[in-house]
Amino acid sequence: MIPTLGHVAVIAGLASTVFAAVAFFIGARRADADLLLVARRAMYAAFGLAVLASVAMVISLLSHDFSVLYVARNNATTTPPFYSVISLWAALQGSILFWTLLATGWAALVLHRFRHRAPALMPWVGLALALASAFFFAVMTWPGDPFLRTSPIAAEGNGPNALLQNHPFMGLHPPLLYLGYTGLAVPFAFGVAALVTRRTDEEWLGIVRRWTLVPWIFLTAGIVAGAWWSYEVLGWGGYWAWDPVENAALLPWLTATAFIHSSMVAERRGTLRVWSHLLVVITFWLTLFGTFLTRSGVVASVHSFTASGIGGWFLGALVITLAAGTALIVWRLPDLGDRRPAGQPVSRESAFLFNNVLFLAISLTVLVGTLYPLAVEAVSDQKVSVGAPWFNRVGAPAFVALLFLMGIGPALPWGGASWATLRRRFALPVVLALLAVGLAVLLGLREMAPLAAIGFAVFVLVVMADEVARGAAARGRARGEPGAKATWRLMTHNRRRYGGYLVHAGICIMAVAIAISATLGTDVTATLSPGEEMRIGAYRLRHERLVVEPLSDDARVRETRAELTLSGPQSGAVTTALRDYPSSTTPIATPSVRSSLGEDLYVTLLAYDPDDESATLHVFVNPMVGWIWLGGAIVAAGAIFAVWPERRRRLPASAAATSAG
Amino acid sequence: MRRSNLRWLAVPLLVLPLAWLLFTGLGRDPREIPSPLVGKPLPAISGTALDGSAFSSSQLAGKPALINVWASWCAPCVTEHPLLLDVARQHADELQLIGVLYQDTADNARAFQSRYGDGGWPDVDDASGQIAVALGVTGPPETFFVDALGVVRYRHVGPLTMEVLDERLTALGIEP
Repeated sequence: MIPTLGHVAVIAGLASTVFAAVAFFIGARRADADLLLVARRAMYAAFGLAVLASVAMVISLLSHDFSVLYVARNNATTTPPFYSVISLWAALQGSILFWTLLATGWAALVLHRFRHRAPALMPWVGLALALASAFFFAVMTWPGDPFLRTSPIAAEGNGPNALLQNHPFMGLHPPLLYLGYTGLAVPFAFGVAALVTRRTDEEWLGIVRRWTLVPWIFLTAGIVAGAWWSYEVLGWGGYWAWDPVENAALLPWLTATAFIHSSMVAERRGTLRVWSHLLVVITFWLTLFGTFLTRSGVVASVHSFTASGIGGWFLGALVITLAAGTALIVWRLPDLGDRRPAGQPVSRESAFLFNNVLFLAISLTVLVGTLYPLAVEAVSDQKVSVGAPWFNRVGAPAFVALLFLMGIGPALPWGGASWATLRRRFALPVVLALLAVGLAVLLGLREMAPLAAIGFAVFVLVVMADEVARGAAARGRARGEPGAKATWRLMTHNRRRYGGYLVHAGICIMAVAIAISATLGTDVTATLSPGEEMRIGAYRLRHERLVVEPLSDDARVRETRAELTLSGPQSGAVTTALRDYPSSTTPIATPSVRSSLGEDLYVTLLAYDPDDESATLHVFVNPMVGWIWLGGAIVAAGAIFAVWPERRRRLPASAAATSAG
Repeated sequence: MRRSNLRWLAVPLLVLPLAWLLFTGLGRDPREIPSPLVGKPLPAISGTALDGSAFSSSQLAGKPALINVWASWCAPCVTEHPLLLDVARQHADELQLIGVLYQDTADNARAFQSRYGDGGWPDVDDASGQIAVALGVTGPPETFFVDALGVVRYRHVGPLTMEVLDERLTALGIEP
């Protein structure tokens, strides 16, 4: 009954999005307000139907309804309720349902918020969003039906993917990422609408800025949460492996970041306009590309779902989106010229231009590295893989250059800068950065990457701090406000600028932490019998005993646990385990991570011998990893600060709303 | 005029190569581990089955066969076991199942069968490891799909799933 309801909701969702697309198109051509209203309501209905289908799936999972194939394959009677609910995105069909839910949610939200605004653009925005949602409903109607029934009905299901039920973070990382991915359809839709209607002026950029930043925040948080999950669960001591699917999440993040920057220039100065259009199209395309990579079985990755017939559908969507997007841009190219001459070489515009070039260069590098194995296999039938060293070597210099631009960009004036300005703004930051690098060398740091990261990060932080301090001092003098209050007022009166600074500060912290943790970590592998000890750095670890027992909340899972005693800078009991899930070929690690401000002690169980209770441990000392998560949190907080609605009432906007309503 | 039309070339130049590249990748299974045996006749395998009878791969001719390498200590083997029991029951007269016991003792294997069910197919004890070497096994479970002519058609590493069985048995001409 309930699965049938879900199935019907999916089909009705397809009908309603297709209807909405047609109605938006005809309504836009005839400027028929009634038809457009109906089209908008059809999109609200599509969201309601996606909610209905998702609820039906969650109920089926919670009630272990194994007549639904998806439930039988991804759930078991012993699965705890929390993991039953998040199994909604555990596998292919459910994840597409979840995607559709979020995509239609964004669409309904945008159409509702703009029901009285931007009347020329909105029908086309609606059309683009309706088509994107219709595609996902169609995938669920034909090749990826989440409510497909099975018979005979099994008494017990397979249970969720072992990696998915091992850590509560799985409840957080995919939804954040999906919210980011699906939300990036909004700037795409506005970009397309601007091109179709030839309203490629500043209006769409002003609207889209906030609607790009919000999905960007989710995407950023999703990527950082994913890295954190990988660190806490996978037991290999690292957090980023340049896995094809990690790259697939990073790619739209890079291009969306580039767009956020180019759109500022396009809005303010009327230059970089082709870039902005190109970047929204590419970003949306890359989100589709990411889903294609994970769902088509094209590349091998820890994230890939079972290969399925869905690949062809996504390939079709990718080709159509790319062809239509580039064709639209080519068609409107004559309209997209620069509105005024580009700035001098040393100006804020050129810093932004270089920023865009670098972001695109990094994106291309990552894309090429991800697709290279595919290309080799296509022409020579050989399997190759592109590993982390290649990405690190090629990517690191570009990221360092970005860090440098991050420092000079915001401090350079629009148009061009004189030598005197440059000297005044950059003398102190350069001196302090050199001092920081000198200090690091004195403390024994010899690696290039962390030295460069420290130097540029200090440079950026000082440039920003200097500017905030000057601004706050001026404000304090003018209004007689005390320092802290003046700083807060200064920042809240230009949230966009100072939120951006906070984001940059978070990135600086992450850059230093990543450079240091990637180059200065140490690790030791040792096999210990009970009572034996090992040393790593200042830590001592003693193996007490090996315990094998079923997991308390799911008896089908067998846990083999090494119980250890730690002494040194931190001390206490440490346990690290391997878990055997019935649904997994390989045991799943449950590493122990002891974090402190300076470093993490990371203990993972590699192997064990139940006969003599010995345990083979891989122990890492990972410096500064905690700062990566902290930096990520600052990035997200800064972006939230930037999009937070300004408190000042804007009379014209509210007046327009009342008159139109 | 002509120059402005030339810019349209950018569209196919960008789209077609990418589409082609992704399309070629579509037909492949990245988890398919190539085996030099695929497309070649099954190497001669012989040994003593758990019930004491002699087994030789020459007995296999004429019908498709599924050679499953397993061990009682292997947790994923427990997962795939019900699927094998189903397949053995459903296709008793058109498919032969042969188990190869990998680094295990006969007693443990019998205990496994009494606990999880015995499908009645021969399980060859590969105590010397010769069969595993001949097949190039990396670890249990692994399953080899052999057609009626005795040619290896597919090697599956890891526990079998319903999808894999459906697809590969169909390829051997057996309707799932």
